[in-house]
Amino acid sequence: MQKKHCKIAVDSLTTTRYYIAEHGSKQHLLSVIQNSKEVFALENLTEMLKGSLEGCILEIISRGETYGYEITRRLNALGFTDVVEGTVYTILVRLEKNKLVDTEKKPSDMGPPRKFFVLNDAGRTELRKFWERWEFLTSRMNELKERK
Amino acid sequence: MNFWERITGSDMTKESKAFELRAAKLPADYQEAWKKIKTYLWPHADFTGRSLMPILDGVLGLLEETAADGQGIQEVLGNDIKGFCSALAGEEGAASFRDKWREQLNNNIAKKLGK
Repeated sequence: MQKKHCKIAVDSLTTTRYYIAEHGSKQHLLSVIQNSKEVFALENLTEMLKGSLEGCILEIISRGETYGYEITRRLNALGFTDVVEGTVYTILVRLEKNKLVDTEKKPSDMGPPRKFFVLNDAGRTELRKFWERWEFLTSRMNELKERK
Repeated sequence: MNFWERITGSDMTKESKAFELRAAKLPADYQEAWKKIKTYLWPHADFTGRSLMPILDGVLGLLEETAADGQGIQEVLGNDIKGFCSALAGEEGAASFRDKWREQLNNNIAKKLGK
């Protein structure tokens, strides 16, 4: 139990900045911590999420030009608190290698230039296919669950 | 890469030195992680290690960016540096010399069993 609490604390720390930036207060963050029971239940989410994370990131990039840090925080705020920037980085490398995104280096206020990502046509096609696969999967899963 | 560089690997030495200069500017916990990353990536290298160079360059870029954001290394890489490295090496498609040997071994065994 002790270990779990520490983990929650670390996860919360990760997302604090983003929550405050998004919601202007710590209120939302506090409610998340209060709902930490829910987080316990979702402990094994990482494995399940693995195959869908690429689709999640494609979707986020499709909303407009963005970069690794921003994508990670968006996923964290969505409730995927275990996702770290390192993981997002490995997927961005893959998206770039598979030519699903266009990249541009832009100077940053602090530190080295940042790499920004936008979806290209191949990326948009892949995203559409991802959601089709997702629809299929969820509809089959629901049927399995509902049918007695 | 010219002949001299191919034989001596002098270009890689130069590149490695440049990496270490960049790494030296990172915070202490980042430098620890950088050492671990190099260790974990090594088994994924080809015979000379040349295939690792662009991967290391990219990782160093990530570390530089996130350090400048003021994030802790734990926030960036989580607990699984090993997993991060194998994901990286796998994605970049760097076939290691071990893969080659494993394939040869498998082929040889298949041949023997086939007889």
